[in-house]
Amino acid sequence: MDKSIFIGMSGAKQTMLAQQAHANNLANVNTTGFKRDFAQARSMPVFGEHFPTRAYAMTERPGTDLSAGAMMETGRALDVAIGGEGWLSVQAQTGEEVLTRSGSLNVDVNGMLRTATGEPVLGNGGPVALPPYDSLVIGQDGTVSIVPVGGPPDQLVEVDRLKLVNPPQDALMKGTDGFVRRKPDQAIDGAEPLDASVRLQSGFLEASNVNAVEEMISNLELARQYEMQVKVMQTAKSNSDATARLLQNLG
Amino acid sequence: MHPALWVSKTGLSAQDTNMSTISNNLANVNTTGFKRDRAVFQDLLYQINRQPGGMSTENSELPSGLQLGTGVRVVGTAKQFTQGNLQVTEQPLDMAVNGRGFFQVLLPDGEIAYTRDGQFQLNADGDVVNANGYPLEPNINVPENTTSITIGTDGTVSAVIENQAAPVQLGEVTLVDFVNPQGLMAVGNNLFRETNSSGDPQEGEAGIGGLGTIEQGMTESSNVEVVEELVNMITTQRAYEMNSKVVSTTDQMLQFLSQNVG
Repeated sequence: MDKSIFIGMSGAKQTMLAQQAHANNLANVNTTGFKRDFAQARSMPVFGEHFPTRAYAMTERPGTDLSAGAMMETGRALDVAIGGEGWLSVQAQTGEEVLTRSGSLNVDVNGMLRTATGEPVLGNGGPVALPPYDSLVIGQDGTVSIVPVGGPPDQLVEVDRLKLVNPPQDALMKGTDGFVRRKPDQAIDGAEPLDASVRLQSGFLEASNVNAVEEMISNLELARQYEMQVKVMQTAKSNSDATARLLQNLG
Repeated sequence: MHPALWVSKTGLSAQDTNMSTISNNLANVNTTGFKRDRAVFQDLLYQINRQPGGMSTENSELPSGLQLGTGVRVVGTAKQFTQGNLQVTEQPLDMAVNGRGFFQVLLPDGEIAYTRDGQFQLNADGDVVNANGYPLEPNINVPENTTSITIGTDGTVSAVIENQAAPVQLGEVTLVDFVNPQGLMAVGNNLFRETNSSGDPQEGEAGIGGLGTIEQGMTESSNVEVVEELVNMITTQRAYEMNSKVVSTTDQMLQFLSQNVG
């Protein structure tokens, strides 16, 4: 059998995987704080005791685009967006510390500050708990201050400070739950250190950093590549048909 | 089948839900005391096709793996309890809460529901009821021959009755607050029900203990911003169109495959 048909098949399959990555980016075009994933193909030569003619393609995710999304004004005191670099530190369901830029926060019935998906938000010493309050202000450095219930509005009480961190970007990766965390080989002992220079803006949310047009174009481009891979398979098939005909005539 | 089909399908259904939320907000742009919803999106789990850092041979490892996202979903809708504009109506039984707090009304099943809609009226018995006829809680009864009703900012209701010089105090409109108003369950008719995540209602006098004041002769308009909703509608529609483009492109790929190979 012509070996090119396998190469065409692997190309088509890897194109499909790349297309899933782009489709996922596009599906998350309205997800607050979403960071788009890159998809790229790498040539994977086949190693072994043979003539090195073939290199298969392999789709991989070399990383995540951590650039900032647009700021959307919401006017809600518990919505925070990080300006520039930096992350909000939250506790994942597994208990580990993970990072997010999705700052649509809520206060639950026990006064715990949680993300929109329910993960506790970390402060100076663990999850942030707020006493009952009349109004709440989150400062640029993450300081959470409240006017306690019935208290005079001019006397703000500082409750906690959101844990804002800024680990080096090349040490980060997106986990299977969509939260960002350190790569296993870049892990550090203990908690992520605070970074006092991270600034956030209350009353804003960060939009997804997906460029919808770009993703759609990638999608169309991959579709054409796929068709070309199919064409390779088709050509391999017609070659094989021609061979079969030759053999028939010989007999 | 092609995974991008399923991924873009999740995108379509999430944008569809978002559009329902937006259209519900727009539909309620003139509903007294309505609070807008915002759909909260979340990316779905990622599947690991190749583990980053996995060993490719005994002494080399893959520099980066392949983790593919599986789409998006709307994880919930967040009600935004920001203050709506106060509109003067001059109706003596119209009340608006300026600040935190909800009015309480007694449902026919004996439960209490909570509302920001302060358009109250009198029924045949002289009880103060909302537009659905559910009485205000605690009940306030306005006697016959009442010439005028005054509701103070602290909720005190007093009436001037014909041929009586001194006004009569009829009762007090109390407000309740919740630790997490976003956890309230909206049941329609401008009413909310208490849930485990909202916490217990904390009743108090208006203007005290963090509760807002009661403003007589005003209603609170919906907090829907038309421009914002229209802009959200446009972005949602475009996101939907692009996700449907992925579906049709993927379909054409599969069509091409099945027509040319086989």
